[in-house]
Amino acid sequence: MKSLKLFILACAALLSGIQVNAFCGFYVARADAKLFNNKSEVILVRNGDKTTVTMSNDFQGDVKDFAMVVPVPTVLKENDIKVVDKSIFEKLNEYSAPRLVEYYDSPPCPVEIVTEDYEVSVMLDQNWPTSANLTMSVADEFNYRVNVEARYEVGEYEILILSAEESDGLRRWLTDHDYKIPENADEVLDPYIKSNMKFFVVKVNLHKLSGSAFEELSPIQLTYNSDRFMLPIRLGMANAKGPQDMIVYTFTNQGRVECTNYRTVELPSNRNIPLFVEPQFGDFYKALYEKSWKQEGRNSVFLEYAWDVSPQQSVKCDPCVGPPPIANDLVKAGVDWLKNGWQGTAYFTRMHVRYERDKFPQDLQFQTTTNKERYQCRYILTHPASGDMSCEEGQKYLKELEQRRKRELDELAALTGWGVKNGNSYIKEFNNRLEDYEFSPVMTQEEDRGGIWTLLLSFLGISTLIMVIARAGKKRKLQSLPA
Amino acid sequence: MSTSILSLVKKHPILKDPRLFQITALSSFLAYGIFNLDWITDLPRIFTILSAGLIAQLFFMAGLKLPFGSWKSGAITSLGLCLLFQSSTPLMWILAPVLGISSKYFIRTKGKHLFNPANLGVILPIVLFGDAWISPGQWGSSAMLLFFFSSAALMVLFRVGRIDTSLTFLLTILVLEYFRSVVYLGWEFDWLFHKMSNGSLLLFAFFMITDPRTTPNASGARILWAVGIGVLSFVLTSWFYLHTAPMWALFFAAPAMVILDKIFKANVFQWTSIKPLQS
Repeated sequence: MKSLKLFILACAALLSGIQVNAFCGFYVARADAKLFNNKSEVILVRNGDKTTVTMSNDFQGDVKDFAMVVPVPTVLKENDIKVVDKSIFEKLNEYSAPRLVEYYDSPPCPVEIVTEDYEVSVMLDQNWPTSANLTMSVADEFNYRVNVEARYEVGEYEILILSAEESDGLRRWLTDHDYKIPENADEVLDPYIKSNMKFFVVKVNLHKLSGSAFEELSPIQLTYNSDRFMLPIRLGMANAKGPQDMIVYTFTNQGRVECTNYRTVELPSNRNIPLFVEPQFGDFYKALYEKSWKQEGRNSVFLEYAWDVSPQQSVKCDPCVGPPPIANDLVKAGVDWLKNGWQGTAYFTRMHVRYERDKFPQDLQFQTTTNKERYQCRYILTHPASGDMSCEEGQKYLKELEQRRKRELDELAALTGWGVKNGNSYIKEFNNRLEDYEFSPVMTQEEDRGGIWTLLLSFLGISTLIMVIARAGKKRKLQSLPA
Repeated sequence: MSTSILSLVKKHPILKDPRLFQITALSSFLAYGIFNLDWITDLPRIFTILSAGLIAQLFFMAGLKLPFGSWKSGAITSLGLCLLFQSSTPLMWILAPVLGISSKYFIRTKGKHLFNPANLGVILPIVLFGDAWISPGQWGSSAMLLFFFSSAALMVLFRVGRIDTSLTFLLTILVLEYFRSVVYLGWEFDWLFHKMSNGSLLLFAFFMITDPRTTPNASGARILWAVGIGVLSFVLTSWFYLHTAPMWALFFAAPAMVILDKIFKANVFQWTSIKPLQS
């Protein structure tokens, strides 16, 4: 009866307007230029102790104002730093974004079926920002107790690796060198300095840029060996207003990556939703994410995609909404363990975290697991059959369809908190009149999942059960005793 | 009315047998996991671990003619594994409880088990097959913290026994982390709170290292032992970035129990020697 044709609409919901901001480090600006810490995306590749981090650079503004500070665990060598093409982020995002799948019911009464398979993938543009320059002034580092460990020029960037002895000196050094540091950054800098972290400081070398002041900046890729498998998000919170979103794409040679100090939660997936959601799939996913985020106490990391993308694997997605990464993409991302360029395991995990200071007191720490289970955020539309419904099967089908549509509306409300003003007409009417439906967010208050009640009730329930069993046992014993 | 309820509570079997109390508490956490942490998809794993554990226990009960009450010990080990052990291979779901429970009968020292069965059940598949893991972040939330602490209070009340071990271990971690992370590194208090309210850490502290059959007999020895596990966990976490440190620390500390039992003399724990609370 179902799924004759498959129509896939991939929607980069995340890029369609969810407020996203800074990442591991903080952006700092020269002068008083306005800062926009927009969307952040990170690729993390982990093999043993070796980590390759690629940070997408989504600075929006005049690039001469761009500067960034990221804590790193070691002093990086020049060939450990690269700039990579930003297309890798686009490709990974496109491939792993939450997806909407459409199915078509086949007509219940016998008719001639015209089948046509087609696949459409819609990606929203990423707005990458722009160009300009900074010149480095070499000052007396001594007074600041800041040591310039290394100085490199990579791509369009001028890079310094600093080590510091105390946060005040580092803050003064950065300020005196025209970096605008968020006011409360010192107290965050201190723990990193004392944990023996170095500071990767980046500016743009304007001479290396050809175009306008609003040119796109390349993602920066760093490779280092360290036991620490983490992302320092605390620094990025220093100049953030409100929660920030980050997408983390990871590759390992074993299996899924999960967070060790926050819960890693799978978002609800494979749910049937009403047809009229299609044009607003981006908003739908945003609402779904927001609801789950609140429901999980605003302090969880969400899994959006997990799949074995090893080059020799035949099924890399089901269904595919974007081209799966090929061996060359994996290498670009930092996967360096593939033999002969294509043999070996590459497991891909996409996580989405929305973090803010009071819910995320610690940096994100990760571990690699051997979990190779596939996961994707997938939502399903089912189009009704059309044509003659006069036969017995057809009448039965129409009744079932009504029930199904009721369930779809309930599901929509459960996933997003959306109510539909004229939902009844959707239940009753089978025409796919998308523009007729209006959403109204009906659920605004935070929902608690009532964990403590589950615990207390289970405790009471199980202990009562034990008591009943024990009493029954006793009675039996007494009865079996000779009078 | 109130007196009859009180007498009913007093006569409750979970107050007479601490193992029943543990089974009740662990099952509640499992229910919490299933209903609140979406472990619904994990039901096959949970079911397999529980059945394999109970079957292994029944096997040993039959073979060694153990008293019927020892099913509880197998249930505790299996429930502990359900709460801490992760693997995507069904074979490991069977192996973990079987290895853990077998260790109780094969690796023994002076009437006690050398390794904590649940701990060994987690560690062995990781070491031998590499196809398993522990998810220290899978709990979270402060409601859990509250519940764990109330369980702890109940444990004291109902004399499960080794509350000294739990509190010493947690206090050791708290003090060390306070001085390193808050005083020295300069993280805020909520950093420390987040660390200490980790569900896996608390579960470990209250329900794994408290096993009387694998802890030193004398109270003083237990304090030393718990401090040792605390220090080792702290070192493994802070310098080796091992997020599952307590589990490894307990594994490595197992032989220390034998030495501590030699130095500090005390009676070997017997479940049957616990007297009912109300007398």
